[in-house]
Amino acid sequence: MFLLSSHWLLELGGKLHPLLVHFPIGLLVGAWLLESWKHWRQGSQDYRQMVYLGAFFAVCSVIGGALLKASGDYAGETIRWHEISGYLTAGLAILTALYYKYRSDQFPGRAYLLLSISCISLTFAGHWGASLTHGADYLSSIWTSTDQQDQVNLAHWQSLSSADSFPEDQLNRLNVEVRALFAHRCYQCHSEAKRKGGLALDHKEGVFAGGDGGAILVAGAPEESEIIRRLKLPRSDEEAMPTKGKLLSEGEIDLIALWIEQGAPWADTTLKVFREAPLALKRPALPNTPAEIKHPIDKFVHVYFQEQGIEWPNLIDDRQFIRRAFLDITGLLPKPAAIKQFEENPSTNKRQELIKHLLSDKENYTLHWLSFWNDLLRNDYSGTGFITGGRKQVTDWLYRTLIEDKPYNQMAKELINPSKESAGFIKGIQWRGVVNASQRTELQAAQNISQSLLGINLKCASCHNSFINNLTLEQAYSFANIFAEEPLEIHRCDKPIGKFTAPGFLYPSLGEVVGDSLKERLASLAEVVVQPANGRLYRNIVNRFWQQLFGRGIITPVDELDNLPWSQDLLDWMAAEFIQNDYSLAQLLADIMSSQTYQLPAVNYSSPAFVASEEFVFRGPLIKRLSAEQFVDAFAQVVQPFYHSRSYDPDSLEMDCEWIWHEEIEVERRVLPKPGIRRFRKSFSLPIGQQISKAQLLMTADDAYSLFINGQKLLEGEDWQQVQQLDLPIDILRKNNQIAIEGTNEGIIANPAGLLFSLRMELESGDTLFVHSDRSWKTTKDTSDLDWTALTYDDSDWGGAWRAGRFEKSFWGVLPSFNFESTDTALFVRAALVKQDDFMKTLGRPVRENVTSQRSTTSTLLQSLLLTNSALFHDKIKEAAQAWLAAGQPPMEAVEELYVQALGRQPNPREKRILRKQLKSAEPEEFLEDVIWSLVLLPEFQLI
Amino acid sequence: MLNDIETRRTFLRKMQQASMAAMAVSLPSASFLSSCSKAKTSQARADSVILLWMAGGMCHTETFDPKTYTPFEKGMESKAVVSTFPSSPTVLDGIHFSEGLEGIGSVMDRGTLIRSYRAADLGHILHTRHQYHWHTCYEPPQSVQPPHIGAWIAKELGPVNPVIPPFIDIGQRFTVGEGEELKAFHSAGFLGSAFGPFFIPDPAQGLESVRPPKGMDLKRFESRNKLYRDLVKSSAFGEYGSSYQQESYLRSMEQAYQLLKSPEAQAFDLSQEPKEVYDLYNTGRFGLGCLLARRLVESGARFISVTTEYEPFLGWDTHENGHTRLKGMKAQIDRPIQQLILDLEERGLLDRTLVVLASEFSRDMLMEGRPGANVRDQVKVPDQVETLKHYGMHRHFTDGCSMLMWGGGVRKGFVLGETAAERPFKAITEPIVIDQVHQSIYHALGIPPETQYTIEQRPFYTTPDGTGEVITDLFTPTI
Repeated sequence: MFLLSSHWLLELGGKLHPLLVHFPIGLLVGAWLLESWKHWRQGSQDYRQMVYLGAFFAVCSVIGGALLKASGDYAGETIRWHEISGYLTAGLAILTALYYKYRSDQFPGRAYLLLSISCISLTFAGHWGASLTHGADYLSSIWTSTDQQDQVNLAHWQSLSSADSFPEDQLNRLNVEVRALFAHRCYQCHSEAKRKGGLALDHKEGVFAGGDGGAILVAGAPEESEIIRRLKLPRSDEEAMPTKGKLLSEGEIDLIALWIEQGAPWADTTLKVFREAPLALKRPALPNTPAEIKHPIDKFVHVYFQEQGIEWPNLIDDRQFIRRAFLDITGLLPKPAAIKQFEENPSTNKRQELIKHLLSDKENYTLHWLSFWNDLLRNDYSGTGFITGGRKQVTDWLYRTLIEDKPYNQMAKELINPSKESAGFIKGIQWRGVVNASQRTELQAAQNISQSLLGINLKCASCHNSFINNLTLEQAYSFANIFAEEPLEIHRCDKPIGKFTAPGFLYPSLGEVVGDSLKERLASLAEVVVQPANGRLYRNIVNRFWQQLFGRGIITPVDELDNLPWSQDLLDWMAAEFIQNDYSLAQLLADIMSSQTYQLPAVNYSSPAFVASEEFVFRGPLIKRLSAEQFVDAFAQVVQPFYHSRSYDPDSLEMDCEWIWHEEIEVERRVLPKPGIRRFRKSFSLPIGQQISKAQLLMTADDAYSLFINGQKLLEGEDWQQVQQLDLPIDILRKNNQIAIEGTNEGIIANPAGLLFSLRMELESGDTLFVHSDRSWKTTKDTSDLDWTALTYDDSDWGGAWRAGRFEKSFWGVLPSFNFESTDTALFVRAALVKQDDFMKTLGRPVRENVTSQRSTTSTLLQSLLLTNSALFHDKIKEAAQAWLAAGQPPMEAVEELYVQALGRQPNPREKRILRKQLKSAEPEEFLEDVIWSLVLLPEFQLI
Repeated sequence: MLNDIETRRTFLRKMQQASMAAMAVSLPSASFLSSCSKAKTSQARADSVILLWMAGGMCHTETFDPKTYTPFEKGMESKAVVSTFPSSPTVLDGIHFSEGLEGIGSVMDRGTLIRSYRAADLGHILHTRHQYHWHTCYEPPQSVQPPHIGAWIAKELGPVNPVIPPFIDIGQRFTVGEGEELKAFHSAGFLGSAFGPFFIPDPAQGLESVRPPKGMDLKRFESRNKLYRDLVKSSAFGEYGSSYQQESYLRSMEQAYQLLKSPEAQAFDLSQEPKEVYDLYNTGRFGLGCLLARRLVESGARFISVTTEYEPFLGWDTHENGHTRLKGMKAQIDRPIQQLILDLEERGLLDRTLVVLASEFSRDMLMEGRPGANVRDQVKVPDQVETLKHYGMHRHFTDGCSMLMWGGGVRKGFVLGETAAERPFKAITEPIVIDQVHQSIYHALGIPPETQYTIEQRPFYTTPDGTGEVITDLFTPTI
């Protein structure tokens, strides 16, 4: 089918179907009308041509329809009926046409009869076709619904209603069903949250109080009840309810009427309208499968495939596998040598061995998965001092947790009952001023634990009883009170209601949360949440990992764990196994990735909407796009390091010097540094009688600088990310010395500027002396003097340097190469440790004000614009091209090498032809730039 | 019994399935979010919006709603200071503006002056929080990320001209203080980054963002693109099969290419303006931003924000020297805004372009927040004005602010609401809140009030709960 649909002509044929079908409709029905007229009026005109043409188009339509079906995701009853009636129509039309041609002179009546039958068949085909395109109820919705599916279980109630009164349990059930109907069909507008027309249907008082227009029901008298009248109105009536979505079916209305007739009883049971997943994990037995299916995950998937009628496809090849595995565990591309070695490795177990090997690279595993956790724990956002202490990072804790592979139950415990290092997660974000009651930090803590760790949405219930799950406002406050020093007054939709509630967890069956102090309660909550009986905690993380690897969770969305999984057994088995394996996240990855299921080829699912729906059928992973971080890291590996500066430095190699600049003042306020040249001076003396054995300096500045010592120019630089290291000629130093730096802030408008300097001198005595950039330096914007680098120059009218460190957090971060110990100046910094910037943000790295459960997989124009014309990106490519050429490699050889680095393969002959042709018409440097650019933007590079 | 329960379960499941499509998922990807209602553009009165953003709290009594002039006297009581500028007449009878805004005053016969905007009471003042509220219509923090008004408009209406990004933000940099808070609302939020702002921090360099990379001429740009296309075709990616991800990826690459080589990109190039026009607008970045906005509207932009730029304690955010600094601020905005209105009118664009001038709140000499509110961390104001430094509106006032609108069906020469003549200078008639302002802007554009998306299974409207009301007085009645 796939092959068939891939030819454009066939696809066009399919696409033409909706157009084609109108020809037979017009022609055959037209012929029938004219024939009818003729029969009635005894006319003698000849309409046979129309019948022939109609038959011809009927056949065309059927062919088009078959092609369309082959190319799309059509299935089900409607399509079957449409298909059958379509073929029938075409057949009948041919028959009719033949009859008209050869026999109509003899039997005009029979020909007319045949035409009539064709038209009837056509009507059916048309009806089913319209049902496909306009929805099954496009016709029936004109009348009040006659839809059989929506008959609820009215039959059950009708069988009972012959008896005059129902037993109490039946009345309660009836009420619960009516309330479920309200919840699904009416709450959106008529609940405490909304109260359209003053009506709230989500509690007893609201239902019986009615709306602005008065009571909505008269107990015992459905025919007098406003609600029944409004529900029965046709869609065209302005007063018809509901105003949004489908009208209620007759059965549904009858059910409400029956309930009113029975006196509108109200059951005082807590209504559980929405599906709730059981807390406990199933521990399903491993299914019996053919001997070649060994991996437990594959066994479950095999059973699932059998149920769905899916054959195992061929697994991906070694080259695809190693790329996928590298990117999924370390976020990096495999090196060409590793690919070659892997391909040549004869071991049958090599894929499992590779997974193990990759997981042993703990640092790169951590640096890749850090992004997943930052998204989930909304960590690694940055704030300013203005929201004093309103935010806290957990990066340090997270880094160590991942690198140690801390057991997940312990990790969850530390998030819920935090140490100082992990306190940021439940601390939330405190904006200055008065915030909405539902966004108090205590409620944020409850919401975030619910979403990130338990896969349930508490955000609705923080404001009012939820209408998307069974949680109540009181439950939300009860949960939040665990984190509160003082019990919080319940606010409904930001209005206090004068009620308080005791601290308690969402799932009381797991045990009570006890403790008088906050600390005790947190400790107690942590114990309650992490116990193995709380299957949600473990299902949640397994499902989220599955989504990371396969592009879609076993349950989707991953934030709604009460939705149905495509395989409950698989999910629960993995969660239970995860507990068995001492909660090891690395082991969880290893388990999933060593299955054959992980080696399935990426699947071309039809649309994002299908992937997100419950109709989704798992056949293999989705095609994934490199994340912002993966792309930047891959680029750094293949082309040129992208970043040299980190916002978080796990090695803590920070030095003791300060970023400084000239202080710029306007109307008595410090402003962003203006573009232009600023001068800096610092003098220092050496201790008498001490000899210097070695002197080294580190220097960088944003944007450019020239460095002089004792009047001698030593260094220049133009890129603040490129730290320069210099061994200072010792004879340049005297007793009294003068450092002089000319710094340039480039640009047209004001922007951050600063310089960073360190001089280390080793004395023969073994002591070490430092001169760092700091506020003791002097600065000026006056550039008129010529002798300003000299020791003798009088700088007494210069001002003191300003510590530009405020940009350090928000802009520069930490330069790992600004260190005397580091020798590698081209150090490449992993993107996860880099502060969020516009480049990565545009490529989809979230701002993390809120929990992010999944990044978008589709591309945007802004992303492509960035990749097509960003100066930053282009400069990196330029640098790389220059470096390749400087190394003396012929351009074509360089390109072949690049192909191997980027795609793990040589260019194929066709590509070589294209590249050679391009080289002929361009300068080598431009050629190389354009090839690099194209290469890293190829879908083959971008998509996994 | 069992049978009945099964039926009900099946029923419930079916109900859930039916709403699944609408509920989508919590993906921030807007590509398959479907709005419940499509914009009725036939009723639209405007195609484009220009927001002129007075960042930092523009004081109404020093600008568009002057009160008694109390000239500077050394040692005068702070509470005696009312307006620090004399007022001058505008083109409208009986309506005066503070001195220095004569240009804008001269075009008020083409628009509406709102004198009764009330900013929300968010407790003690944080500019960026009020700005977040103004631009998204939702008070921060929110449990999901609400979109900027420009993103809503971009999502609902798309671009006017397909090659001009529908949401353009001119003049704001994020390297300033509170940069992170600024980023929090300069975003398309849950609508997905496709609808996010296209930033042009410096209007003079606008062209940089929409042309091939520096140093690459069109010929090479085209040749590079051809190379790319050829390599895509011959790459071994075929073995992975086609997919919507790949299609969306290649489609957006193609779009970017088309935009960057399109002649419309010239709209971003201010150097193409005649020198006298350029000079007329050039009072700095804000003035040039107005010029760029005009050029972009001419070429088919949808939503443009031009800001005086928020930087803590700068711009309109006067914590001292208020009087002195406001002279400069007025000089920065007066001529370019006047010229913008005249130019749009001359080109026949003003009727279909809604121009809005607004600020997050106003200022006062003494009052912080609302009358009666005891707001923490007030700006220190001495009892007596000893130097010019103390003379000005240094506290944040939320209870009465001015806002201007032109075009897009807005009434001409109309004044809505008024503030008290005596301190506190709060709105006393026709109080207007942000929900109404947003709904009115959407109304002008033909975006219906029930526009909403289901995010994390909850309905999320353009204004909270879809309840914002159109300020009907604002618009000329339609026949």
